[in-house]
Amino acid sequence: MRVLLIEDDRLLAEQIGHALRAENFAVDIAANGEDGQHLGETEAYDAAVLDLGLPKVPGVAVLRAWRKKGRHLPVLILTARDGWTEKVDGFKAGADDYLTKPVRIEELVMRLRALVRRAAGYAEPRIICGPLTFDAQTGVFELDGLPMRVTALEWRVLACLALRHDVVVERSELNEKAYDGDADVDSNSLEVIIARLRRKIGHAMIETVRGRGYRLVSAPHAP
Amino acid sequence: MRRSPASLNRRLLLGAAVFIAAALIVAAIAIAFILERFITGQIDGRLDTQIVFLSSLLRSAGDGTIALAGNADGPPFDRPQRGWYWEIIGPRNALLSHALGDTSFDVPRFHLPPRGDRPAPADGPGPGGQTLHFRIQPTTVGGLPIVIVATAPRDAVTAPLHAAMRTLALSLIVLGIALVVAIVLQVRLGLRPLERLRDAIAEVRDGRRDTVPEAQPLEILPLVAEVNGLLAQNAANLERARAHVANLAHGLKTPLATLALALAERGRDPSGELHALAGVIERRIRHHLSRARAAALGGPVRAKTPVAARLADVGVVLAKIYADKHIALVANAARDLAVACEQQDFDEMAGNLLDNAFKWARGQVRIRADRDPGRQVAIVIEDDGPGLQPHQIRQVLRPGERIDETAPGFGFGLPITRELAELYGGDLDFGASDLGGLKVTLRLPRAA
Repeated sequence: MRVLLIEDDRLLAEQIGHALRAENFAVDIAANGEDGQHLGETEAYDAAVLDLGLPKVPGVAVLRAWRKKGRHLPVLILTARDGWTEKVDGFKAGADDYLTKPVRIEELVMRLRALVRRAAGYAEPRIICGPLTFDAQTGVFELDGLPMRVTALEWRVLACLALRHDVVVERSELNEKAYDGDADVDSNSLEVIIARLRRKIGHAMIETVRGRGYRLVSAPHAP
Repeated sequence: MRRSPASLNRRLLLGAAVFIAAALIVAAIAIAFILERFITGQIDGRLDTQIVFLSSLLRSAGDGTIALAGNADGPPFDRPQRGWYWEIIGPRNALLSHALGDTSFDVPRFHLPPRGDRPAPADGPGPGGQTLHFRIQPTTVGGLPIVIVATAPRDAVTAPLHAAMRTLALSLIVLGIALVVAIVLQVRLGLRPLERLRDAIAEVRDGRRDTVPEAQPLEILPLVAEVNGLLAQNAANLERARAHVANLAHGLKTPLATLALALAERGRDPSGELHALAGVIERRIRHHLSRARAAALGGPVRAKTPVAARLADVGVVLAKIYADKHIALVANAARDLAVACEQQDFDEMAGNLLDNAFKWARGQVRIRADRDPGRQVAIVIEDDGPGLQPHQIRQVLRPGERIDETAPGFGFGLPITRELAELYGGDLDFGASDLGGLKVTLRLPRAA
């Protein structure tokens, strides 16, 4: 899962970025509204964390611009302004959730996961795909009822596939959602990660759709 | 004894009354003086004519005595004992008017007027205790020095004078009263703009007006302009102070967020003490930020916030925040219902109460807004959650207290909501809902 964090306070942005990466998110950070708006319009993100008081372009304007251009990524507003009028304005501009500073990182992670899950169309936190279960609230994968150990990259790819199980997910999208803007893609290419995941959950669970991408299947055909 | 404050009304009236009374008294004295001179002049004319008549009849008898050559007792000198008398004093004898009968009088001392062509006036006692007005003319007849005296009763002057003065005094009193009434009306009329000004300022204070209207008489226009200037300056200062408080609070929150996240890292704050302190700072900021807004309100406001629209907006926000709880929100509010409350404060109250309802509800939240007797709007928010026991209600109304420390929220929502409601002249009530949970009734003044 890849998240865009737009926050002008460098220290806070680094803290949140660090904490989100520790929870397996890929994080891109923009320090002002202009850069943030551009990234949100050009890159693929699962969600955005948006500060309202931003230099250059204010947060609400960024949000309105995205919605006007049909960018429907879930947006969580993170701001020091905690009045209900500001909340109403934020949601009217198209926000999906709202947290006020200072924020508990567990709360932020929980809300982000819930936003991504809901955006994928799941009302319930547990996503079941054959023997594989993904708890979109805690971020834990279970295989046959036992918790699975996965690296951050593996987690992001598998979460992306799980949120749209039985549907083909494009290679390009997996690449975009798995790596943040600064990542060195070559050394840990998607094929390598898919291969590692197949060893953990069974080859038949992830199908390769030639020329398009991959599909996590809930009822794999016998090999 | 307490002195009552100086009254312009009383001052103007008292001043006018004193001046009118003084003017009327001076006028009465002047008129009496002139009238007396006029009546005396008339009487004197008559007496002088009699003296001329007497001197024309006077003859010297040759032996040093004098006599009259005809009847000198024509009216009013013919009536006995009325005060109309005459006497001619010669060197050897005196002639008296018949009206005197067998009485007589003494001729008072007199001074001849400097020009000497007119008889000298004098007042003195007459027969029977009567006061007489004398005209005395010394002259000579055939070389004999004689004095001719004619008298009239003093009453002949004072009686018509008194009669005239009585009528005059009555007229002057009526005139005085009419003048005072006119002054009262004039003062009332003149001071009416001040009364209107006071009403206008009271309306500003009650929040029914922004400024004092500028359509005022020329004399109080500068005062109105000053008052309006003061109001504008006050509002600007208040707004600036509010903005500074908000900026201070929000400016502190971002570094505080950084601090809280840094402390949350493993090993930085093993006892959790620093994190707790950061939490205290955060709660204080939040509390005083809300208080700063609330404290800036000083009575009813002119703001008009539509209830149904704002409730719908806040409801949409909460439905998104609590999307996972799939709560059915039923709202029932008349479209034209509005409260006399700043929108931001209404949002705060509605937001806090609905947030609470959504937090505790199992599946249903119900809002109803109705006209309440007594110019209020009652907004009833109910949920199907666990509800609150009476002792818990007291607890949630204390700032910083929460029933469930694990549920998100900062524990200031309900106390601040109640404080805001009371500042607007409304109130907050808790009860049990037939849905099974809490029923909160927020009453706010209805907008005109």
